[in-house]
Amino acid sequence: MSLRRRRVLLVASVILLAVIAAAALALHNLLAGKSGGAIQAVKAPADVIARGRYLAAAADCAACHTAPGGAPFAGGLAMQSGFGTIYATNITPDPDEGIGRWSADDFWRALHDGVRRDGQQLYPAMPYTSYRGMTRADSDAIYAYVMQLRPMKVAPPVTDLKFPFNVRLSLVGWNLLFLHDQLPAVSTGRSAGWQRGRYLVNVLGHCGECHTPRGIVGEMELSRSLTGFALGRVAAPDITPAGLAARGWTASGLRAFLGGATTREGSAFADMRTVVALSTRNMTAEDLEAVTTFLLGDNPPPIGPSPFDKAQVQAATTGLGRSSYVALCSGCHGLDGNGVPNTVVALRNNSTPRLSDPRNLIVAMLDGVGLENFPHRKNIEAMPGFADKLSDGEAAELANYVRLTFGGRKADVTAADVRALRRK
Amino acid sequence: MSLPTRPLAVTINGHRRGPIDVPEGLMMIDVLHEMLGLTGPRLGCGIGICHACVVIWDRDDRTSEEVRTCITGAHFFEGKSIRTIEGIARRDDTGRVLALSPVQQAVLDKFSFQCGYCTPGFVMAATVLVERLARVPVPRSEVEATVSAALEPHICRCTGYVRYYQAVRDVILATPGLTRDAG
Repeated sequence: MSLRRRRVLLVASVILLAVIAAAALALHNLLAGKSGGAIQAVKAPADVIARGRYLAAAADCAACHTAPGGAPFAGGLAMQSGFGTIYATNITPDPDEGIGRWSADDFWRALHDGVRRDGQQLYPAMPYTSYRGMTRADSDAIYAYVMQLRPMKVAPPVTDLKFPFNVRLSLVGWNLLFLHDQLPAVSTGRSAGWQRGRYLVNVLGHCGECHTPRGIVGEMELSRSLTGFALGRVAAPDITPAGLAARGWTASGLRAFLGGATTREGSAFADMRTVVALSTRNMTAEDLEAVTTFLLGDNPPPIGPSPFDKAQVQAATTGLGRSSYVALCSGCHGLDGNGVPNTVVALRNNSTPRLSDPRNLIVAMLDGVGLENFPHRKNIEAMPGFADKLSDGEAAELANYVRLTFGGRKADVTAADVRALRRK
Repeated sequence: MSLPTRPLAVTINGHRRGPIDVPEGLMMIDVLHEMLGLTGPRLGCGIGICHACVVIWDRDDRTSEEVRTCITGAHFFEGKSIRTIEGIARRDDTGRVLALSPVQQAVLDKFSFQCGYCTPGFVMAATVLVERLARVPVPRSEVEATVSAALEPHICRCTGYVRYYQAVRDVILATPGLTRDAG
């Protein structure tokens, strides 16, 4: 059967299943749904709240449940999806705008089943698809933590998708197809660290929500888990053991990167900078070790040899790409691509030029990269964008020079690739 | 060991300079300071943040923009036309200053700076802005925001910016054709 027909069939079954299942499950959910009710007063021991705070950081709740410049956890962030704009909700304990009337059971159902307190389905922009693997004890600890935050009387914009996506009941069918108790492991291992890492990566960290390709109805394609996907303008790269090794990532490099440092392989930028700043840098050394153990496996694959082609690199030293590099990039990144320690990332062996997909390199060249603040007063200063200084052809030549010379990748970027990524 | 050089010819403040042999990896600020005697643009941070080093690049389509010379290689400017702070005032044939530009005069009148290190950069930004508004005026109600956006990238460590912003705002409001009534 052709891929196209299979997809059509898939869509058809989604709709059919949604209709059938919605009748039963949704009716139950809606009947069980609550509005109003008592304001919850949660008394939890300090150690449970502290654990909840740590778990909330590991689960990176704040990244989405905080608007730019807004109060933490008060919601309002606009998330663009193929189905419309979805706004994150207020999860501070305000009784009217937040979750002040939610019980621990209500909270658990949202994380585990993707169902709101009022019985309506959550959109899977809320990663209950990953959180489903969370233990009840961890859910309760996070609940205890957020319920003692200062209540914020802030009403985020209400998500209002167009038909048919505004029919939240259809999510019941979607969940039947795509909600799994456990997400697949991308590496092999048995150690305690690997097990803990699997929980941190697949459940709390919900890494797959960005790094796993999504299908036509927005589901994670689990057969290709963590192989990378462009959900937004900057693609989340392949973080399977093979993908990481091909770009030179070692366990210690990954730990340093997630812990908030600039590394030989680069520093976190775009959405991943938020992940590092709010989430991974707060993890204990043991948990960071577990994360990298799971990502690379108990027996990490050998680091891919730098696939540099000496003859091609030599040839590139005289081209237009090299001229542009010297004129526009070398002032900060250096003629030799080694950057400036703690100030400007090195391009030589940087993970981004080593990606086979040139997308992120081109986007960084066109848009620039915003100021990045990391712990311990480390700053990577903002990089200007060069969209107005490079033609499509010049940008392609420059990307090819950087790929070839510093990334060991093929010089296969075309002007059309650049044109396709220019902001309209 | 000698650095590989390439010839560089640039039009600066209306005069064609060069070609001169310039090492290929040299940044433009060094060429302005060390080879062309133009010390007005300041070297501050050296990583493109403070904007004290900017020059105006006049593009062929008659628009212009600021370019940071501390992070831009000299050879980027090959064949291009730029202005430095030295070229902003009106001068006679001998180079004597006849009149400061309105922006320069306003910055002096308002006591906008103390040490003056960042001043060339601010004047360049304001000059680019005034020239842009002459082509595309903004409503009077948007002047404040327009000035803020144009000067925002420039860093000053002494005065707290207010008087720079006031000076540029006053020049714009006092110059016919830079603003229009809303609507």
